[in-house]
Amino acid sequence: MRTWYFSEMAYHPAWKQGIERGSLRVNFPNEAVDPVEAGKLLNRYLDEFRLCDEVGIDIMVNEHHSTATCMTVSVPMALAVIARETKKSRLLTLGNPIANRPDPVRVAEEMAWLDCLSGGRLEMGLVKGAPYEIAPANSNPARLMRRYWEAHDLILKALSTHDGPFSWEGEYYHYRNVNIWPRPIQQPHPPVWMTGMSVDTGVLAAERGHVVGTLLSGGLAKPMYEAYRKRARELGWEAGPDRFAYAAIIGVGHTREEGYRRADQIADYVRTAPLVYEPFTNPPGYNSLGANVAILKNGPRANRIVTDRHGEQIDHRKATVEQFMDTETVFAGTPDDVFNQLKAFNTRMGGVGHLLFFGQGGFLSHQDAMSNISLFGKEVAPRLLELGVPEAAAAQ
Amino acid sequence: MSRTITVSGVALDIHERGQGRPLLFLHPGEGLQPNRPWLDHLARNHRVIAPNHPGFGGSALPDWFGTVDDLAYLYLDLIQALKLDNVLLVGACFGGWIAAEMAVRNTAALSGLVLSAPLGIKLGGILDRDIADMHGIDRATFMKKAWADPSNGEIDYTKLSDTELSGIARGRESLALFGWKPYMHNPRLRRWLHRIDIPTKLIWGDSDGIVSTAYGEGWKAEIPNATMQIVANAGHYPHWEQPEAFTAAINAGA
Repeated sequence: MRTWYFSEMAYHPAWKQGIERGSLRVNFPNEAVDPVEAGKLLNRYLDEFRLCDEVGIDIMVNEHHSTATCMTVSVPMALAVIARETKKSRLLTLGNPIANRPDPVRVAEEMAWLDCLSGGRLEMGLVKGAPYEIAPANSNPARLMRRYWEAHDLILKALSTHDGPFSWEGEYYHYRNVNIWPRPIQQPHPPVWMTGMSVDTGVLAAERGHVVGTLLSGGLAKPMYEAYRKRARELGWEAGPDRFAYAAIIGVGHTREEGYRRADQIADYVRTAPLVYEPFTNPPGYNSLGANVAILKNGPRANRIVTDRHGEQIDHRKATVEQFMDTETVFAGTPDDVFNQLKAFNTRMGGVGHLLFFGQGGFLSHQDAMSNISLFGKEVAPRLLELGVPEAAAAQ
Repeated sequence: MSRTITVSGVALDIHERGQGRPLLFLHPGEGLQPNRPWLDHLARNHRVIAPNHPGFGGSALPDWFGTVDDLAYLYLDLIQALKLDNVLLVGACFGGWIAAEMAVRNTAALSGLVLSAPLGIKLGGILDRDIADMHGIDRATFMKKAWADPSNGEIDYTKLSDTELSGIARGRESLALFGWKPYMHNPRLRRWLHRIDIPTKLIWGDSDGIVSTAYGEGWKAEIPNATMQIVANAGHYPHWEQPEAFTAAINAGA
């Protein structure tokens, strides 16, 4: 299991105000941002990313828009800085919200440029994006995935075509001369990652051999991984752990209490980050027909509940660290505790090759974040590298 | 009762009732609601033909279909397929936008046009919002804007079958497909409204918080000889909230 550290570079000084207004996203006016403070925080977060390279773990960056929860507005922009400040870490965008981007060729150019700049260290996540990203981008939520797949195909073709220009006359995108400069070091293109929460995504990712990642719920992750493995087998290949990624909040400390405290502070992120004005939570067409029928029946908040591994229903807005640990949203404690928890998780999931280490989430201080990264990188991550396919899964 | 008619490759679920002059009713973004009284009221004096738009209710939405242009041509083809003539074309809200797009293209089989609080044109400046952002407000706020009395429009979703809920969810997705950007209008349509050469009546609720009566006046100014009638105690859906007054306005002539 490889470790990829990420943080969303939150602007937590405005959270209290946003929570009082009932929305941290989209319709929370940016007068709540002190831009000088934002700049200080961005520099602090970039220092935390740089430490990952020193302690030997990889780096992931994501992006959100119009929100106090995440100041990263552009994965290539953040990675451009990080690529210059690091030497060994692989650099993952998870991701580029390509169905919300009007110009996929520009995405291909940015990814090729980053791959060159970083000496071939780029891993390229192409994601659907969260429902509340529809409003800031004003992209059409209907047929979103159709647009996603056309953008996906165009980006991979732009990265891997070297005798261009070629033309593209699709349903959504039109170009007559696609011929990106520079081209990526990694051939035919940097590794591709997707994200998802469903069995369908597992199947679609398997058909392309992409890495698939999910977050914050082992109960959702397992069926998706299993669907991926099954589809890969049908197609004649065996999907190893390196095809699967899982994002979790991790608090590690010199003592169990310290680890739990850190996890609890980062978990505030999960408790508050979904707080967004109702109409932006489920734009029409974003979710499946079946999910929307269920929401009509049960109300819009029905999908905030996650089932833990004992079958209990947990509300992510109010959960304790211990409850989050039962949904596999959080791993916490001493380095030994966290390693043992992740080892057991790896076994339950049948082998997960990538841990997306959510190690800073707002109010966790710089000192705590640096210690969290450092302890994890030095004392947990090297042991995770030894974890492969668990014996029970390998025997199947 | 409804039947399915395939027109130009699209399987349309159509409700029909009544005898007389054909009246093609194009429903709003909120759906057809065929069990509500207005279709019966209209059917006292007309042969009412009311399709579910593609992607709404029981109508198919083919992969290739996805714009209001497609809808306008489809319904012109439907009129031809049913061999209709002397048609009174009635469109409400989103259906009004479709009706206007049909009328600027071809009025040969049409003899009257009724637009009830239509969406579809842009009148104001770049920072003005002519049409309320129905997707940027919560449901309770939407109901307050769209109804003179929101209780007239309440639907208890827990009482509906999965088929009905699925029809509603499909409709919401399809409305987004057709009208998300530019939001619920065609920036070019206003310039072609002068082509409408049949008697046209605009019907507007006095309490419409989605599109104002001033927006209605803008439509009236663009369509030659159009008239406008205000319906009292009605919001954005006069046909739904005041079906008797709506029917009377239509029977008074377009």
